[in-house]
Amino acid sequence: MKSPFGRGLAGAIPYGLVLPGLLLYLVFALGPSLATIVYSLTDTNGLTPRPLNFIGLANYQEFLFRGAAAQENIQALLRTLLFCFLVTTIQFTLGLLAALLLNQRLAGTRWFRALFFLPVILGVTIQGLVWRLFLYPLDGPVDSVLGLFGVQSELLGGSGLSAFLWVTVVQIWSNLGITMVIFLAGLQTIPDELHEAARIDGASRRQGFWHVTWPLLTPAVTTNLILSIIGSLQAWQLFLVLINYRPGTQVLGYVVYAQAFGQTSGSTTSNSFRQGYGAAASVVLFVVVFIVGVTAQYLLRRREERLLG
Amino acid sequence: MNSSVAADPLTSSADVAIVRRRRRGLDWATVGSYALLLVLAILYAGPLLMLLNTALKTSPEFAKDPVALTSSFSVANFGKAWDKADFPRYLVNTILYSAVATTVYLAAAFPLSVAIARRFVRGWNWLYLLFVIALFLPVALIPQFQLLLNLRLYNTQVGYILLFLTNPIGVLILVGYIRTIPRDLDEAAAIEGSGYIRYLVQIILPLTRPALATVAILHAIGVWNELVLANIYLTSKAYFPITRGLIVFTGIYGNDWPLLAAAVLMLAAPMVVLYVFLQRYIISGFTAGSLRG
Repeated sequence: MKSPFGRGLAGAIPYGLVLPGLLLYLVFALGPSLATIVYSLTDTNGLTPRPLNFIGLANYQEFLFRGAAAQENIQALLRTLLFCFLVTTIQFTLGLLAALLLNQRLAGTRWFRALFFLPVILGVTIQGLVWRLFLYPLDGPVDSVLGLFGVQSELLGGSGLSAFLWVTVVQIWSNLGITMVIFLAGLQTIPDELHEAARIDGASRRQGFWHVTWPLLTPAVTTNLILSIIGSLQAWQLFLVLINYRPGTQVLGYVVYAQAFGQTSGSTTSNSFRQGYGAAASVVLFVVVFIVGVTAQYLLRRREERLLG
Repeated sequence: MNSSVAADPLTSSADVAIVRRRRRGLDWATVGSYALLLVLAILYAGPLLMLLNTALKTSPEFAKDPVALTSSFSVANFGKAWDKADFPRYLVNTILYSAVATTVYLAAAFPLSVAIARRFVRGWNWLYLLFVIALFLPVALIPQFQLLLNLRLYNTQVGYILLFLTNPIGVLILVGYIRTIPRDLDEAAAIEGSGYIRYLVQIILPLTRPALATVAILHAIGVWNELVLANIYLTSKAYFPITRGLIVFTGIYGNDWPLLAAAVLMLAAPMVVLYVFLQRYIISGFTAGSLRG
């Protein structure tokens, strides 16, 4: 449809006003995003701009197949999938539980909701630094509490696996609020009459949940799963803040950053900016996100059709 | 209490059920709910209170027992962190980046969103799709870096701000909201001979204010909290936002946990204050556009 605000020159105004937003998006976001594929075929590195030099698929070959580094990359890929699985399932379950608890008419629910959401707005830097304080010092808070249960853990300072799992815990702690508020918004779209009708029909609380609440929560379930699957596959910033680049802990997103911006060895030197190689890693991550994301999307759509018709 | 809960759009709930429950008095489900909520509350409030407790300790006190409650209530850490962390300079930078980027972003995104929502431009559906696919695409990190290097904007404040002038989710939220504004207004404005720009500014803009506020806050929080791009693009201390400054500070004073805790608290404080006042907008920003239908 055309704008009703004049023809000729005046009719072009809407187009003119679309341009700034569109150009900014194309030049600084969409364009660079797609150009990652082009860069992955070059040996671009360092801090000085120079013409692109194409080297075919050499970056991919090195990333996936060459030597010990390739094995570490494959492990990083598997670790990324594990991270995604743990974060998605646990965050989903706890977020749903929190939302169900807060959807009751209980005093103080607003305060609880505000509290559980707080880490989301504090951002990764503060999320990470708060937990460093708890997870690093020996005899620190978490160490002491676990000690009460007779659990020994070196937490972030311990083995790669232990550090990885603690980062997973912090990731869930930090983002639970998002899952929770999306579920809460979904729960509030369910009319009270339906709960009431189920109760009159003699349904127990549990039956009420599985036969009324759960099917009607379908849109919120889909949204939460997609957001959290894609988000956790791409997330790595808490690893940076909590443990830096440590062998045996990296996820793919961190490999991209570390390779492309010279952070693998701890010290930054400009010739360690392996941008082409990093771009290849980035495309591998994109393929993983795409396959997992599209599969999840497909399964969730089928589930929606089955439940909602 | 109850009336304020009911007024909150995110916590409406079954009135009938409440009346019934009141009649029965306190039931086990309520007790159980509170027990679970308290456990979660301890997991969320605990770390933040512990942060405060640590900030109020002296270093020797912390070394002796990191967990015990502070006995000295030493506020010296805050003054020390304020001086050593270069806090005022970082804060000015962060405010500058967040404010400029958010303003420019909204100025560009608003007319774009109106045109898509109202179908004023041909190919509006393709435009919309461009912003939808953003969620799946590879991160733009590396070519973006090369672009800014070539533009000679590496380690400049202008270059850093340029990175934050797009936000596809914000556009989707705005389009969704503008679609709910009745179209009759467009016709009326056109008949009265209003020009397009006057229509945008005087008619649509005021009606879109809630969505604009939500998107503005969402975007500003993103810029405020950004760490990775600050790590990549800014090497001069004079340009650091607080996130980067805090990480550098951590590297230098890494073992002085009470000092670090004080710095983290001070840098979190503006966000917490903002959150207290704008909670409704912030939370709706994270749910808006995420639920279809």
